Amino acid sequence: MDKAQDLQTEQLPQEPLKSLDQIEAADLVVGILADLSQDGVAELCGALRTLQGNPKILVLQSFPVTPSTSAESSQEGPSIFLLPWALQAQNLSSAPFETVSTAYNSIVTLGEKVGARGCCLIVSHFESPASHWICQLVAPLLDGTADFVAPRYAFRKFEGLLNSSIISPLTRSLYGRRMQSPMGPDFGLSQQLFHTFLSGSAQNGDRSGGVNMLAALAPRVACGNFRISQAYLGARTYPPADWTIVSALLSQVLGPIFLVMEKTAACWQKARNSTPIRTLNEPAPVPQTTANVEIGHLVNSFQLGVRDLQEIWSLVLPPATLLELRKLSRLAPEQFRLPDELWARIIYDFALAHRLRTINRDHLLRSLTPLYLGWVASYAREMESSDSNAAEQRLERLAVAFETAKPYLVSRWRWPDRFNP
Amino acid sequence: MWQQVKQALDQSATGFMTRLAALLPGFVALVVAILISIVLAWVIGIVVRRALIGMQFDERLGRWGFSSAAEWSPRRSPTLLISTIVTCAIVLTGLLIGIAAFNSDITSSLVRSIFAYVPNIIGAIFVLVIGTIVARFVARSVLIGAVNLNLGYARLLSVGTKWMVIVVTIAMALVHLRIAPGIVELAFGILFGGIVLALALAVGLGSRELVSKQLERDTKKASAEMFEEPFRHL
Repeated sequence: MDKAQDLQTEQLPQEPLKSLDQIEAADLVVGILADLSQDGVAELCGALRTLQGNPKILVLQSFPVTPSTSAESSQEGPSIFLLPWALQAQNLSSAPFETVSTAYNSIVTLGEKVGARGCCLIVSHFESPASHWICQLVAPLLDGTADFVAPRYAFRKFEGLLNSSIISPLTRSLYGRRMQSPMGPDFGLSQQLFHTFLSGSAQNGDRSGGVNMLAALAPRVACGNFRISQAYLGARTYPPADWTIVSALLSQVLGPIFLVMEKTAACWQKARNSTPIRTLNEPAPVPQTTANVEIGHLVNSFQLGVRDLQEIWSLVLPPATLLELRKLSRLAPEQFRLPDELWARIIYDFALAHRLRTINRDHLLRSLTPLYLGWVASYAREMESSDSNAAEQRLERLAVAFETAKPYLVSRWRWPDRFNP
Repeated sequence: MWQQVKQALDQSATGFMTRLAALLPGFVALVVAILISIVLAWVIGIVVRRALIGMQFDERLGRWGFSSAAEWSPRRSPTLLISTIVTCAIVLTGLLIGIAAFNSDITSSLVRSIFAYVPNIIGAIFVLVIGTIVARFVARSVLIGAVNLNLGYARLLSVGTKWMVIVVTIAMALVHLRIAPGIVELAFGILFGGIVLALALAVGLGSRELVSKQLERDTKKASAEMFEEPFRHL
């Protein structure tokens, strides 16, 4: 217990500690990692003030606030305390997952210290005003109806592709819970949940048990049978795509996911069939992208990968998969289509290779880039003129393909040398 | 006259026999040393082979990226190669110890100089192994990075980088072995410079096409009035 307490105090952000001397307890801790304007923060605080039961809310803002702003905001209402948060948030663009994971560690520790009933972290920029979504995220935590509130964002067919193609269907097939965004990043956590995390981390000697907390949240919640809800938060604004960092992105995101997969193998091997989770509010339709879709360069990347990365892929993928990839590489862009079953098996094979350390893990994950771009090309070609409903149905079919291929993963995971089709 | 010849022959025969008798213990020691080393080498060879088979060394070597090691191994088995090397090394050591048992100045200095050279051989082997590992790692990094950057000459870059590292490694190993250091330095300079020049030319000529394609793409983009990539990954 003493060890756990020491660990928590070390992890606490410096600035909140100073101000916390004046705050004995809080019902809710809200961390803002997004670069919100003064008006945005004020609007968020205003929306939080509408929560029922007059809870005491601690709002931490990671981006620099001038002392006058901080003091002014603190005096706005008796139940909201706005404090600066000394977190290295400037790394959000270069290492988003590490930064968000650190922020969750800090906020969970802080929530435990002030005896909060829940905590949440705001990382994304939303198109709609805070009053439309913040209460959906935190109210279930305060009234005790959910332990984990996962975000559900407005669906746009060409946004969040890494989540749609790998993270969401993989999490669904492994852990049996249908979450739209298993890696959030805008989650709400109940007291019971972060207490479990902290006690588990203290036993493990660190905060996350050696894995990225953002990647570990959804799997641990699913394996721990916590009450999960999904809140519709509206549309997010995304930074523009940078093709040179796709490989770095894959390595940063999939590395922790595969690591968590390894740690929770006993749990996901038992899970059968997926179940939907409660959605707190209905999604509203959003306008879809109507821009021209050019997939020629994506198909070129895929073909280049098939031509030059055979040597590496042959260590990871079975011969049948390699043969199918070679056939695909000979197709013209207008005929290009990567079957869902093949894509699911590729991801499972990469997860297994990550576990077995078949090759250097960073090399492994970066070598997935041409295959991922191939999937994007195939999906974009199919969905170019489709509406969001058709795209959602298409992704549902992909998720089902992941579930159908799960026995393949389980067999290869258990007997990697014996089972190699 | 005949008496004197007979006396001289007797003396040489006695000297020959005396020297032969003096060499006999050394010869017996040599034979014993060789026999013991052969038995020891056979036993240790079996132990090493079984240990490597137990840890699935051949498969692991393939996974670590040394699949080509099987190509130049006897019966395509690196396990057999290593156990044979160990066996031969033990027999050679036994032979050298046996030669040293002759206790003559020539054999002693020969054995001493051979043993003094052993650290150089071990050092050179170590340099070669590390160099090969580094070469493979760097080549793979370059290949993946170049493919992800959509460079058509990714494989050429990767192979060029790999051979640059291997050439440096071989030069270092030869310098370590003190084999014609002057020639090695000269040959290394020529070979390394040649590879760099070849790569520069290849990349330069390849880039010409790349730059023209890029310019063409930029022109198309400008005419399409702010064409923006619609995909978002996160």
